[in-house]
Amino acid sequence: MTEVKQVPIGEGLFTVVDGEPRLIATHCKSCGDYFFPKTFTCHNPKCKEKQVEEVKLSRRGKVSTYSTMNYPPPPPYVAPEDYKPIPVVAVELPEKINIIAMMEGCEPKDVKIGMEVELVITPLYKNKNNEEILCWKFKPV
Amino acid sequence: MKDIAIIGVGLHPWGKFPEKPWTQMAAEAAREALGDAGIDWTDVQTLVSGSQLWGGRKGIYSGNYFAEVMGETGLPIINVNNACATAGTVMSMASMIIGAGQADIVMAVGADKSAKGFFPFLPVYHQEPIPSNDTLRWQMGLPNPMYWALECRKRMIKYGVTDTHLAKVKVATSKHGALNPKARYRKEFTLEEVLASPLVTDPLRLLEICATSDGAGAVILCSMDKAKKYTTKPITIAAASVGSPLYGDPTTRIPVVSFTPKPGVPIISESAVAAKRAYEQSGIGPKDVDFVEVPDNSSWHYLQYLETMGFCGEGESHHLLESGETMIGGRIPVCPSGGFSSFGEATMAQGFAQVYEMVLQLRGQCKDRQVEGAKVGMSEVYGAAGNNSAVILKR
Repeated sequence: MTEVKQVPIGEGLFTVVDGEPRLIATHCKSCGDYFFPKTFTCHNPKCKEKQVEEVKLSRRGKVSTYSTMNYPPPPPYVAPEDYKPIPVVAVELPEKINIIAMMEGCEPKDVKIGMEVELVITPLYKNKNNEEILCWKFKPV
Repeated sequence: MKDIAIIGVGLHPWGKFPEKPWTQMAAEAAREALGDAGIDWTDVQTLVSGSQLWGGRKGIYSGNYFAEVMGETGLPIINVNNACATAGTVMSMASMIIGAGQADIVMAVGADKSAKGFFPFLPVYHQEPIPSNDTLRWQMGLPNPMYWALECRKRMIKYGVTDTHLAKVKVATSKHGALNPKARYRKEFTLEEVLASPLVTDPLRLLEICATSDGAGAVILCSMDKAKKYTTKPITIAAASVGSPLYGDPTTRIPVVSFTPKPGVPIISESAVAAKRAYEQSGIGPKDVDFVEVPDNSSWHYLQYLETMGFCGEGESHHLLESGETMIGGRIPVCPSGGFSSFGEATMAQGFAQVYEMVLQLRGQCKDRQVEGAKVGMSEVYGAAGNNSAVILKR
């Protein structure tokens, strides 16, 4: 059996700190705003100093809105033949930034606004090179 | 802004035309517009053309390929791409060229043959150290209607909008679209039929999300003093504005994977900005507008734009819909053309279907879907990545 290689969906997006998956973001020390994915400058047009640093975002947050992807998403996403509807959420983190992602570990009907969730790094799909693409998702706490 | 006239309009019907090159569709629309204006192609002094996302290099340089089939005359050609807000942006650019005294007669043109089903990912041929939002979101399985659904859900919870309200939008637009010979879908849908259509991105159903179509349109713009030579009834472009987002926009906007709402920044801020700018350019307010063509990509858009454009207060649009005032004969008829819902979206060309409808309405040529006594019409187009354009026409 060939070993399945795991490949992140992109470089510099997430990491593992003390065994916990975290998103990599940019924090502006001048105005306090956060940016994900990370960026080379602060995007706040009113911020003059733009002193930025790389940070890891909080792992837990609350669902601010949700939907369900009832049909298999189009390519390059690779949907399995037995595709089942997947919940999609926006999650507000304590940093006040909202992150969009799919949910795992629950049914679409169980997703509610305000529910507490935590970040996981998990296979999104397997591509034609038999590589598992890893992405951030959320799961109920 | 200086008054600019529209002296001719043309519109290829919307649908799927796999046997027809888009240049032919654009040429047919252009010939109709030239005939409507009573001028020849060789009278056109500048061409502003909507670029395409789906047509490869030919689509990017659309104006040049279009001029090739019309007959090359050496005129300046400007290709414009502002996502699905392209046609409105083309109208704005064409107005600016006349306003700056660079030309008296400008043709605005756009044609598109859209991808079927969910719009697909367009490959990127260069490597960025961090993938762009657009690359990421396609890989993550987040097509456009997912973004609209996430925003629609917020609206439902905040204002008590229900499944039935969302379905009633389609009932309303389909009633208008059934009367439009240029529309692709001319069936009147019942509430039950809409509610029986499958959920695509909950809460949005298949019939509440616009299809993707092929279409083409052309508009002949002219300086107001020269317009009298061609027509006794020029339509005036009172405003053609372009908007972009404000920092801290709370919208789940295509193609972001994160957003940070800031206090006081409105939803779809690019659209709020363009509408405000159009009202300022024209000195016209929402109360002066007799009908509106909103970009009803989905039922959510229909409701959101009525508020963003100032036709009702925040959270009130579903009540306005329920009251029947958004139908022809009501206080503010919405999408008398049938909207994107009845046309399907031909991305870069879509705004031309709105301009065509507005011109016909203002001339009183819409027969059984005529908004009686219409003097002022307004439209807005909504583009990915925070593109927007608003147009106000008056007679």
